[in-house]
Amino acid sequence: MSWQAVARKEFRDAIRSRWLHGSTLFFALFIGGAAALFFGVLIGPDGRQVSNLFGFFANLGVFSFSFPGLLALVLGFIALSTSYGSITGERETGSIKLLLSLPNSRLDAMIGKFLGRSAVVVAALLVGFLVAFAVLIATGTRLELGSFVPQVALTALLGMAFVSIGLGISALASSNREATLATMGLYLVFAVLWGSVSEGIPKLLNYAAEQAGMGALAVATRVQIGVFLKYLNPLKAYETLAAQLYYGAAQARLVSATFGEQNALGPIFQESIPFYFSGWFLFAILLAWIVLPVAVGYWAFERADL
Amino acid sequence: MAAIELDGVTKRFEDVTAVSDLSLTVEEGEVFGFLGPNGAGKSTTINVLLDFVRPTSGTVTVLGHDAREESIAVRERTGVLPEGFDVYDRLTGRAHVEFAVDSKEVDVDPDAVLERVGLADAADRKAGGYSKGMRQRLALAMALVGDPDLLILDEPSSGLDPAGAKEMREIVLSEADRGTTVFFSSHILEQVEAVCDRVGILRGGELVAVDSIDGLRGASDADATLHITVGAAVGDDLLAELRGLTGVSSVDRDGDDALRVGCDSDAKTTVVTTLEDDGIPVDDFSTQEASLEDLFLAYTEDDGAVADSPDDGEAGAKVDDDHHETDDTAENAEVSR
Repeated sequence: MSWQAVARKEFRDAIRSRWLHGSTLFFALFIGGAAALFFGVLIGPDGRQVSNLFGFFANLGVFSFSFPGLLALVLGFIALSTSYGSITGERETGSIKLLLSLPNSRLDAMIGKFLGRSAVVVAALLVGFLVAFAVLIATGTRLELGSFVPQVALTALLGMAFVSIGLGISALASSNREATLATMGLYLVFAVLWGSVSEGIPKLLNYAAEQAGMGALAVATRVQIGVFLKYLNPLKAYETLAAQLYYGAAQARLVSATFGEQNALGPIFQESIPFYFSGWFLFAILLAWIVLPVAVGYWAFERADL
Repeated sequence: MAAIELDGVTKRFEDVTAVSDLSLTVEEGEVFGFLGPNGAGKSTTINVLLDFVRPTSGTVTVLGHDAREESIAVRERTGVLPEGFDVYDRLTGRAHVEFAVDSKEVDVDPDAVLERVGLADAADRKAGGYSKGMRQRLALAMALVGDPDLLILDEPSSGLDPAGAKEMREIVLSEADRGTTVFFSSHILEQVEAVCDRVGILRGGELVAVDSIDGLRGASDADATLHITVGAAVGDDLLAELRGLTGVSSVDRDGDDALRVGCDSDAKTTVVTTLEDDGIPVDDFSTQEASLEDLFLAYTEDDGAVADSPDDGEAGAKVDDDHHETDDTAENAEVSR
């Protein structure tokens, strides 16, 4: 197995890119800067605890905002940008011929690229968290390490998921241009469209059921289908898991839910959380987004002529 | 054992057949030149050997391994200088060779390999700043890591200056001396002549000839050209008589006092004797063997189109004396490319 060789090459190559330097600086300013703003300026000494920023959720019922959600959006974009050209780019310059004329299998190439690029993204992210950590110490903020450290790990996993998605696209695309368009389109889906589509599908199902004479679906069922679909989005799965670290499972599923969802799901969650909404299930979704895109990409890449 | 064995290999892309029913065996330790004009299917054939593309039909065995199923085993013992590759712009020359060392899982000093291809001074520079020739050397260095049993070089001297091309030849020859099988493609013919034991000529995806250079010369109708300086004008009758001689394919005046005769080597003496018998003094004569270019064109163009037209541009550029001067032509040809 020579995936280590490929991973090392990828890391050495990517670590010298200006894009990465920019991303690292951005993470440092964004995560560190937010921490400095919140705990140095906005929040008085009594309220200085990690959850007030890293567990910050504001919900207006129809519109919700959270710091983990924002971080996820930015990270997703940067991770995709780091990986979507990793195969098409090498194909277009021809450097892939050097890569594959050495005894590296295409599986080595995929795994090595995935790990090398992931390492680069995670490294940039960790720099940001380190700066934030320094700010937390400097401002005497209550650290809540039991929540903060797992959140850092979760964020790293989210970064890997988007590296995987970008790499998968790169393996499937036949040109850089195609990969760029697909990446932009997919990002738009994850970041903007997914929620609306998830809410639309149960309505469609309901309509279909009525037309078929089966009667309308129960409101609870409809809402559960919609929320389940939302959780399939890695951004949403991450955001919910991050909330769970600070507020517990039931609360976490409601902090960014719409009023309708809160009304329908609140009573259900009071009793128990169904397994398909459980933390482990969401975690499995996140892991699936790490494994599946690379796997699908490999499947296509293995069959392709260079 | 054969180093490379292609059996009935066909590769069709969507609407083109790049290689058609190609069968070829390259023995271990051989230096094999793969010739053909651009688009003849040379690179496709090489890509099939390396599992870059998969044949539509046929079997490919390299170093005793199936090229498709056991490609890693093949590439562990094969050094490759691909065609149309590029380097990693942000990585130094040394980092490239280290990548090859890591991938091949061997214990080799990258600097020693870089030294061998003449890149020691540039080892710490980013390869993105390398010239075309330096990139070519760098890829060769990566290929040489771990002393491969087989070297596959696709258009190895493209982008190299004459000195670089010469170094490339020397490296190929020293690898061959070590017992390495060398398979290389080129459309720069003189290079092939300088290093190859055998050549295969590919045209339109089909192998049209496989032989040693001498064997090809003997088999092809690209004859030697005889250049004769005469002391008196040669009349039309005599010219016709010469053309009628067995083994003579063409006779043309070259000014008032010289003739160009295309003929096989056995006919040379007859031509000269015939002239002298007719009272034409022969002051001097020299022969030029069919250059590889003639051979090549004879195989890749319509039959006989070459040998009969000594006055066309290609032939006109040829040297006028013994073919030891062909080397100069080779250098010139490379400069012009």
